[in-house]
Amino acid sequence: MTTPGTERSEAAPAVAVLPSAETVDTDLPRAAAATWRSLRRNPLAVLSMAVTLLLILVAVFAPLIADFPAAYGTQVLSPPSGSHWFGTDSLGRDVFAEVVWGSRQSIVVAIAASAIAITVGTMLAVIGSYFRRLDTVLGVIVDLTLALPVLPLMILIAALAGPSTLTIITVIAAFSWPEVTRVVRSQAISVVRLSFVDAARLMTSSPAWIISRHVVPAVLPVVVVSVVLTASRAVLSAAGLAFLGLGDPNVWSWGRILYEAQQAGAMSSAWWLTLFPSLAILLLVLAATLLSISYNDARNPRLRGPRAGRRRPRKASR
Amino acid sequence: MSLFTFVLRKIGRALLTIFFAVTVTFLLLRLLPGDPAQAVANPNMTAEMRATLLTQYGLDQSLLTQYGKYLWQLLHGNLGVSFAQGVPVTTVLMERLPWTLLLTGSALILTALIGIPLGVLAASRRGGWLDRAVQILGVIGQSLFVPSVGILLLYVFGLKLGWFSIGGAYADGTYGAQWYLSVLSHLVLPCLSLVLIQLGPYLLMMRSSMIDALGEDYCTLARANGLPYRRVLWRHALRNALLPTITLIGLQLGFLVGGAVLTETVYAYPGIGRGIYEAVTQLDFPVLQGAFVLLAATVVVANMITDLAYGLLDPRVKNR
Repeated sequence: MTTPGTERSEAAPAVAVLPSAETVDTDLPRAAAATWRSLRRNPLAVLSMAVTLLLILVAVFAPLIADFPAAYGTQVLSPPSGSHWFGTDSLGRDVFAEVVWGSRQSIVVAIAASAIAITVGTMLAVIGSYFRRLDTVLGVIVDLTLALPVLPLMILIAALAGPSTLTIITVIAAFSWPEVTRVVRSQAISVVRLSFVDAARLMTSSPAWIISRHVVPAVLPVVVVSVVLTASRAVLSAAGLAFLGLGDPNVWSWGRILYEAQQAGAMSSAWWLTLFPSLAILLLVLAATLLSISYNDARNPRLRGPRAGRRRPRKASR
Repeated sequence: MSLFTFVLRKIGRALLTIFFAVTVTFLLLRLLPGDPAQAVANPNMTAEMRATLLTQYGLDQSLLTQYGKYLWQLLHGNLGVSFAQGVPVTTVLMERLPWTLLLTGSALILTALIGIPLGVLAASRRGGWLDRAVQILGVIGQSLFVPSVGILLLYVFGLKLGWFSIGGAYADGTYGAQWYLSVLSHLVLPCLSLVLIQLGPYLLMMRSSMIDALGEDYCTLARANGLPYRRVLWRHALRNALLPTITLIGLQLGFLVGGAVLTETVYAYPGIGRGIYEAVTQLDFPVLQGAFVLLAATVVVANMITDLAYGLLDPRVKNR
C-alpha cells in the first residue's frame, strides 16, 4: 500500500482532464490568441516588435553587415560620410561597424541576465507565496536589496571580479531578481488564495505539482512583462558599467564606444561618436518598454474594447 | 501604535538595512575569487610586503574575527586607506559628499516641482494634449540612458550654445557671490540631466494617483458642494494623491544615486560618483567599497526620512 500522499501525486497526470485543470488549459490559448490579436492591431506594438526584431537580426548577422572594427584606420575622427556612415573614432575605426558589433553584446547580456533573473526571481516568488514562512525571509531580503543603490554595488563587484561578459551578466542578474520577485510575488500571493488552488490541494499533496501547473501559469502574464522590462534595464545597466570602464575589453559594446570617446577626450568635438551608440541604446530600450506596455494593455480584456472580452471570443474577432 | 514606536521601528529598519549593506560588502570582498590581499592590495607588491599587509589588515585571522573588527572600524568611521592617494577613504569621500548631496538634492526638488504640477494638470484634463504629452514623456523617460542625456545636454548647452559652464563644480579663483554663481552655473546641466532621467516615473505616478483621487467620493462631494474645480484639484485631490508619490521618492533614491554616478562622470563633477569612476580606473578598492557603504547609508537615511514624513502625513500608516 502506498501512502495517500504518493498515491495522489502518481495519480496527478490524470488530473489534467478534470474540470479545474481543463479550464486553465483550454482558456490559456484562447486568451493568448485574443492578446495576440489585440497586440497586432496596435501600430505602436507592431513598430516596437519590428524594431526589436531588426536589432536582433543586426546582432545575429553582424559579420555579414560590417567587418569587426579592429584595424586602425588612417582617417581619424572623420565625420559621417559615404564610406563611413557613422564616421570614425579617434583610432580611425568605423563607428558603424562598432555599433553593429556592439548590438551583439547588448542583446546577449540582456537575454542572459534577464533569463537568469526571471528564472530565479519567479521561482522564489511562487515558492515564497506557497510556503508563507519562507516568504517572510524572502520579503526582508528583497526589501533590503531594493533599498540599496545598486549601481555602486555592481561597480564594486565588477571591479573586484575583473571585467568580462560573464561578470557583467552575473552582476546584473544578481541585482535584477529582487525586482522580479517583488512584482511576481504580489500576483502569486493573490493567486494562491484562489479556490482552484485549494481544489488542486485536494487532488495532490505535491506542492511542486500545484506550483508548476497552477500557480506559475496564472502569474505568467506578469512574468512576460517582467522579462521585457528586466531585459531593457539590463541593457541600460550593462551600458552604464561599460561607460565607467567595466565592460569586457575584448568585445565591442555600445557603452564601450561612449567610454572610449570619453577617454580620448573626443566627446566635445566628435558628436557622431556619442550620438549613434546613444540612439541604438534608446531604440532598443524604448522598443522593449513600449512592447511591455502594449502587451500589458492587450492582455487586459477591459482595455481591448467593450465587445472584445475573453468570454465573447466571436465578437473579439470582428 | 504610538508615534514613538513608529519612529523607533523605522530607525530600526534603517539600521538593519545599513547592517545588511555592510555585511554584503564584507562578504563580497572575502568571497570573490582571488586572494583577499590581492583585492585589498596593489598587485605590484612583493610577497613580503603582502604578508605584512595581511597581518596589518588582520587577513590571517578567522572570518568571524575579521568581520567583528571590520564592523568595529566602520563604527569609528574608518573605511581604510585609499591606494591611489594614500589618505583615509573617509577624508576622500567626505570632501566629495557635499557635491553629490547638492546635485541629487537639487535634482530631487526640481523633479518634484516639475513633476507634481504636470501630473496634476495631465490628470485634470484626461485625454487632452497635455495628458498625452505627459504619458509619452513618462514612457520615454524610463528608456533614457543617463550618459547619453548628459552628453547631449553638455554638447548642446555647454559647448555649442555656451550657456552654462561645464567640467568641475566651480570656476577656480572666484570668491564670494561670484563663486556661488559659478557653482550654480556648473550645477545646471548635471542637475537637468538627472531631472530628465527620473521625471518619467514621477509623472506617471502623479497622474495615475490624481486620477484615482479625483474619482473618490470626497471629490465628488466637494464639487457637488459647489467648490470651484481648481480648489478641489489642488486642495482636496492633490493632498491625497501626493502620498504614493512620496513612496516613489524612496523607491527611486537608489536609481537617482546610480544616475548621479554616471552624470558626475560625464561632467567631471567632483562628487562621489566621479570619485567612483576614478577609483575604477585606478582599481582603488577601498574607495569603491567606502563609496558604496556611504551612498547606501545616505540612501537608507533619506528613505527613512520619507517613511517618517509619510507616517506624519497619513495617520493610517502608523496604525497598521
